[in-house]
Amino acid sequence: MSDFVWTNSTSEDQASMKRIGRWLIRNPPVFTLILIVLVSVTIGAIAPEFWQVSNIFDMARASVVTGLFGLGFLVILAAGGIDLSFTAIAALMMYWITTAVAASAPWMPMPVILVIAALGGTIIGIGNGLLVHYLRAPALIVTIGTSYVIRGFLLTFIGTELFVNIPLPIEEFGKFELWRVQTDTGSIAILPAYVLMLVAAAVVTWWILNRTLMGRAIFAIGGNTSIAERLGYDARKVQVFVFAFSGFLAGIAGMLHVSANRIANPFDLVGTELTVIAAVVLGGARITGGGGSVLGTILGVVLITLVNNVLILAGIPSTWQTFVVGCFIVLAGAVFGTRKSA
Amino acid sequence: MTLWKKLALSAVALGAMVGTSSLAAADDVQITTVVKLAGETWFTRMDEGVVQYGEETDGVTTNEIGPGKADAAQQVRLIEDLIAKNVDAIAVVPFDPPMLEGVLKRAMDRGIKVMTHEADNLKNTQVDMEAFDNAAFGAHFNDQLADCMGKKGTWTSFVGSLGSLTHVQWADASAANAAEKYPDMKLVSPKNESFNDANTAYNKTKELLKKYPDLKGIQGGSAVDPIGIGRALEEAGLVGKICVYGIGMPNDTSRYLKSGAVTGISLWDPKDAGFVMNKIAKMLIDGEEFTDGMDLGVPGYTNMKLKKGPGKGIIVTGQAWIDVNKDNLDKYDF
Repeated sequence: MSDFVWTNSTSEDQASMKRIGRWLIRNPPVFTLILIVLVSVTIGAIAPEFWQVSNIFDMARASVVTGLFGLGFLVILAAGGIDLSFTAIAALMMYWITTAVAASAPWMPMPVILVIAALGGTIIGIGNGLLVHYLRAPALIVTIGTSYVIRGFLLTFIGTELFVNIPLPIEEFGKFELWRVQTDTGSIAILPAYVLMLVAAAVVTWWILNRTLMGRAIFAIGGNTSIAERLGYDARKVQVFVFAFSGFLAGIAGMLHVSANRIANPFDLVGTELTVIAAVVLGGARITGGGGSVLGTILGVVLITLVNNVLILAGIPSTWQTFVVGCFIVLAGAVFGTRKSA
Repeated sequence: MTLWKKLALSAVALGAMVGTSSLAAADDVQITTVVKLAGETWFTRMDEGVVQYGEETDGVTTNEIGPGKADAAQQVRLIEDLIAKNVDAIAVVPFDPPMLEGVLKRAMDRGIKVMTHEADNLKNTQVDMEAFDNAAFGAHFNDQLADCMGKKGTWTSFVGSLGSLTHVQWADASAANAAEKYPDMKLVSPKNESFNDANTAYNKTKELLKKYPDLKGIQGGSAVDPIGIGRALEEAGLVGKICVYGIGMPNDTSRYLKSGAVTGISLWDPKDAGFVMNKIAKMLIDGEEFTDGMDLGVPGYTNMKLKKGPGKGIIVTGQAWIDVNKDNLDKYDF
């Protein structure tokens, strides 16, 4: 046998390893953060242009719509559901409200427009929730169905054409600046004020999930529906709430998309669902429900946005970019796989 | 995207049939133009050309019809109606060319003259008319860009997606043109995909500006690319310092053309295309011969290149692009 001290130190090492392991399991966003740092350091080494204030601004700006979608998706996932209709809801609200406001009330202030969009999204979300509950069908199939219905409605009854005459209040809202920086290459970088909408949405989502009875019910239903129901949680209420909340955020996301873009294209947004889902899962949420955190989701969104916006900087040819993103998601997913087995 | 569109639209194949307008004097020959989508800006503009040809030409009545929704099945039904009415000629802009093979064959079997536009893969047509050759169009973008950049400097190109055949043809032809004629122009990060989304074009332009601070020229691919590129340049305070050319619609792009963020867009005028389509249909009715280099009397269609199509018909190709910039923008209201 080897000596006592040596054995002792090993068991201490193992114990501390286990402690770190347990801590990481309790704090999955740390993995996401590590991945963000790794990607940043790697890209920064390949392309020093990465280290610019303007880059942080661009990432923040590009994260907003994905972030709002991600928060909505997180809440649904936490309750054990899944939603594929949020982009269709956002596209409908975006195009319908923009064209209607332009036609009949171009003076309408942006806060009112945002409220209308959020309410519209909420109503469709409630519909989703009721369908999921009463049809007792998998949320996946129900929301695939409703997304087609919503999109079909948009393209058939509202319009298919690119709309460029955006009402002034919507446009001005997107131009409102928080911070402006002159870069050394002579161009200007702007941090738009609407990034605060994502911050606000994150705070509200965190509050609902962690500080309200509804939040407790969401995690309970997501963990095990039948036990939660026996404990007195109302599954219907929870399901309707989470889909309504996702619709609420989707409506706002749609209007922010128009506001930032200064055009309303009915074909925009739809098709980005998988990016959002990847972001939320890479943020540590369990795809099977009952877990996930707001901080993790935001970090996941930052990670996905980062990876999607550094490929040109890294000098990866256009034909390879999708391939590289795919490989990255698989690798990142593998990292999370090791976490669960740890 | 297209799949989504198709699925969504075909799901709602409600019979929103557009009534065909009444036929005029019985001794006139009747030419009907069938478009992809009635009411769309592009085809409203095309209708102007269709009507103009009918008014200017004796003994011809022309009209334009199209489905209420872009849907191949509805287009088939409209053409079947025209066969039943026994019009003299049909000019079609197919939504999905292979879907029309059967019905156009029936029309020709009945002795109706058939011509098409934007369908060089269609077999059952007598003449297919293309406004221009895609390679020549791509080279044209590059020549404009070169002029603007002083024939030197760093430039890049966009495509809607790497799967959009025409976009890739334009970008490749442009790159080949630069390699041949402008040795001092340096192409970087070619064929960036915008996924037909102005916001993606915007994000990628921002990234390109970071990576290549000396960027002097950008070629757009999809019609929304110049909008996203223009917004990125406006925000970065680089208007006028970087040349931007691409395909686009005058009204959609007008604000960026006016501000100078987009230097110019090129496209073909649907009004001229409508006029020429009807002229070709009339030539078919009169049994006139088509020759290589023939002049159809409309700018851009004065030297038609003739080649054999995939079926029994021929393909005639013009050089009918128009260049729109802030100086002539007012002339194009579509």
